[in-house]
Amino acid sequence: MNEIILATVAIIGTFFIYQLAVRIHHTWNYPLTAPVLIATTIIIIILAMFHIPYETYMIGGKWINELLGPAVVALAYPLYQHRETLKKVTIPILVGTLFGAILGISTGVLLAKWAGFESSIIYSLTPKSVTTPVAMAVTDTLGGVMSLSAVFVMIAGIGGVLMHTFVLRLFRLDHYLGRGVGMGSASHAIGTATSMEKSQLEGAISTIAMVVSAVVVSIITPGLVHLML
Amino acid sequence: MKKLGKMILHICLLYIIFLFGNWIQNTLHLFIPGSVIGMLILFLLLITNVFRISWVDEGANYIINNLAFFFIPVTVGVINYFHLFSGKGFFLIIIVLISTIFVMGGSGVVSQWLIRRKECQHE
Repeated sequence: MNEIILATVAIIGTFFIYQLAVRIHHTWNYPLTAPVLIATTIIIIILAMFHIPYETYMIGGKWINELLGPAVVALAYPLYQHRETLKKVTIPILVGTLFGAILGISTGVLLAKWAGFESSIIYSLTPKSVTTPVAMAVTDTLGGVMSLSAVFVMIAGIGGVLMHTFVLRLFRLDHYLGRGVGMGSASHAIGTATSMEKSQLEGAISTIAMVVSAVVVSIITPGLVHLML
Repeated sequence: MKKLGKMILHICLLYIIFLFGNWIQNTLHLFIPGSVIGMLILFLLLITNVFRISWVDEGANYIINNLAFFFIPVTVGVINYFHLFSGKGFFLIIIVLISTIFVMGGSGVVSQWLIRRKECQHE
């Protein structure tokens, strides 16, 4: 009985805090006000203030987790919506994201290995460029820590958006396709939101790149990681 | 109310596809996550018109628009790993940022080069 009440409070609480975070993000639209960052911070503060262990919160939280799988399946929907655009530029997007994925995984693994981090941390860091639910699934397959991978994904997303003006100029990315693929492959949904603000087309490309890169990364990561560790 | 029912039905369908993807992963011993397999299956079913988009659109749209909500509980789990980011762990943030620059630049440069080449051929 107690557990049911706890679970309900955790689920409803998370939902309202998320709604609040979305509203804050609408009022102050910056990369650092990403709803996931604000909501996570608020919940962590509440748990710390009342000395609630994470495990207690997860009695309810695990039910929200259940929907992560269908959330990944749902990514087929935006891909389907942009199928005409995808058809026109399949090769550039596919080759570009594949190249980006190989670069991202290998630089991540090699730098972390060189800095002397243990393998469970390296496994959590490797899929940082893809959307959180997919990154968590990949980390889980590899044997990493899902919560850590979620944080690395957040850093890649927010960091990517904060650095994008500099990076796009550095690599002379002036075509909407190059910019969209770069943003979507490196900074997933947070990058895509920024691309959407530039133009609908760049946003569409970024959305496609985000989903394609999630597929590519989940296919090549296990092999590539074992090759390098 | 009708809209809510439709949405729940759609999410149930997405969940069934996810379970099917998991089943494929386990049966064939694949290392690709079952959810990603499910996504590819749904995409194939949609472009081959086996599935109508109206069977999943409301649910898919709701999930995609509120994607962050579903991974908040896992993200909160970082509370157990705060010690990792003090001291040497700070390097992890730098590593992620450097690697992100490579991904953004690398993927962008390659795709931009390919599209420019394609555009030149058309002219």
